[in-house]
Amino acid sequence: MTLIDIWLGILQGLGTTAAVTAYGLVFAIPFALVFGVAQYLTGGVARLLVTGVIEFWRSSAVIILLFVFYYALPVVGITLSAMTVSAMVLGLNAGGYASQAVRAGLQALPSGQREAGAALGLSRPAILLLIELPQALITMSPTFVNTVIQLVKATALVSLVTLTDMTFRAKEIAQVEYNPVAIYTALLLAFFVVCYPIALAGRWLERRVAAPGSRANGI
Amino acid sequence: MSIQSDTIVDIQGLNKWFGALHVLKNVDLAVASGTRVVVCGPSGSGKSTLIRCINGLETYQQGTLRLAGTMLGLSARETAAARRQTGMVFQSFNLFPHLTVLSNCTLALRRVAGRSRAEAEDIAMAHLEKVRIPEKAQSYPGQLSGGQQQRVAIARALCLNPRIMLFDEPTSALDPEMIKEVLDVMVTLARDGMTMVCVTHEMGFAREVAGQVVFMDGGCILDSASSRDFFGSAGHPRSRLFLEKILKH
Amino acid sequence: MGFDLAFALSSVPTILGAVGTTLFVALVSCIGAAATGFLFEMVRRVGGIAGLLIGFVIDFIRSTPVLAWLYFLYFVLPFYGIRLGSMTVGVMGLSLYYSGYLAEVFKAGIDAIPRGQSEAARALSLSRRDAVIHVIAPQMLRNIAAPLGNYFVSILKATPYLAVLAVPEMLGQAFDIASETYRYTEPLVVAGIIFLVLALAISHGVKRLEQRLLAVGAR
Repeated sequence: MTLIDIWLGILQGLGTTAAVTAYGLVFAIPFALVFGVAQYLTGGVARLLVTGVIEFWRSSAVIILLFVFYYALPVVGITLSAMTVSAMVLGLNAGGYASQAVRAGLQALPSGQREAGAALGLSRPAILLLIELPQALITMSPTFVNTVIQLVKATALVSLVTLTDMTFRAKEIAQVEYNPVAIYTALLLAFFVVCYPIALAGRWLERRVAAPGSRANGI
Repeated sequence: MSIQSDTIVDIQGLNKWFGALHVLKNVDLAVASGTRVVVCGPSGSGKSTLIRCINGLETYQQGTLRLAGTMLGLSARETAAARRQTGMVFQSFNLFPHLTVLSNCTLALRRVAGRSRAEAEDIAMAHLEKVRIPEKAQSYPGQLSGGQQQRVAIARALCLNPRIMLFDEPTSALDPEMIKEVLDVMVTLARDGMTMVCVTHEMGFAREVAGQVVFMDGGCILDSASSRDFFGSAGHPRSRLFLEKILKH
Repeated sequence: MGFDLAFALSSVPTILGAVGTTLFVALVSCIGAAATGFLFEMVRRVGGIAGLLIGFVIDFIRSTPVLAWLYFLYFVLPFYGIRLGSMTVGVMGLSLYYSGYLAEVFKAGIDAIPRGQSEAARALSLSRRDAVIHVIAPQMLRNIAAPLGNYFVSILKATPYLAVLAVPEMLGQAFDIASETYRYTEPLVVAGIIFLVLALAISHGVKRLEQRLLAVGAR
């Protein structure tokens, strides 16, 4: 096998990597928004419950969560595909992190924003949707980009539950060809090629958000 | 008094560039021991850069700058030795936030002057008393008001027993009600005969203590006169305009 | 087959016994990552070609998954005749991976010190060495204490990855039990619960430490 063959072989797993990432975001984004906002709005027992759910997904080791759900769900009678279990676990883990960005973004807004909304006669949900969330999402957008990168990298885990992503392909190739240097360098490079442009986009976003006179900073 | 024979700062034909920006243009200035010089001028006029050149915080490209007889910038060791003759007070205080007021004052005494802890603390306390804040010796800078921090910064600079004190807009970062307590300390220091170069817009202070007032604009010294002449009728039209502007405020 | 509580409980002592290994691996990896990250940041600060190169290395590490790095070291080192224990390789992998993040922590910790601090040190005639030891380093350490604690928790959460190299930390022990008994759910759930409690306790401790530091360091 030439280096090109190895590289192309690994890239055959790119589709699965991309699919798990995209499917994972379907879990991550709603979770982050709903639970981040809930943690911001609630108090008392309700807040404890919300925080408990977030902490479960955020504070567990994602690799253990993946195995637990992969093996335990069928035991309680829930059979999901490896793809769905992976997307759910990786997505909710990433969503747990992103929810903290949502909450922090909301909390960082000056209270005058909410008061101004109330003074205009807006209802609480309207204030949240029209005034608070748009501002918080802008300031937090660089953090979301980071979460996406963490999610892409975490998809390497799905190779352990039999999905043929890039990491799985690398291990398959390693079984027929003893050339670990080329194979695993190619694997690292493959992830770099995917993640680095996202990281650069995040940095660009960060500069824009922090730029003087931008909406986020003009508050 | 043979003031002129005992020149502590002697600047001739000083030029400095930041990249393409010419920030000091042929500056001449002499400061005699025991005198007070106030430097004023609009922002961006080069006055802060000039005072930072005097203790070697900034380098220069042309001209000569002698501090206590040493040409600055030739040898790092000699520059460092000459700098030990100076004390500097910054606009933003620059106290060390992780050290108590007392430790801020004793740090250089112990590390530079090689004093024992007990000696250093005695000297530091004496200076803290001079700036009327000995009761805060064990506080951290973050627990003090701006005026108190700046007085501590003055005490810290005095600890090494400098021959000249450099003040870089010491009251510009202060709330109006705190300016007086800092100026009072500076006036006392002047009355005790300390040699001072002070960048400030506090014209009342200049009138009270300065022997010489220097007006800078665009990197040049436009006007340099005794304080009586400067505030009197004589003087450069630009400095008159500047004076009228800031005295209105 | 349902969830066998008695069997689950019987696996607790073995998995609990691996808590020490998990903490040890996390601690050594954190020290390794901090040392490497500090070195990276110092080289980057000096600049020049070496600085640019290290900057790229940091970006590269941050764009690639920890699992890929573990495989890389585990298979590539023996290829060059370097045979190390799997725990050593695991610690090296975690240290390397997190050094990229800790370099950024050191960068932020140093950048946050105002320029006036080193100027004041110079104006007081402190030597370069004294300025670093007495003025810069203490402030940097205080700035990095909280993020360093958070990264310790992150590293702790990454230690189960070492199970893929057969390191006997908690997840590895759970898999050992599973492969002997062909029952996966119980040991994995037990490992997940113990791990979550451990991670929550340590992250709580880090938060407490952070608050105490903030209280002491009233600026």
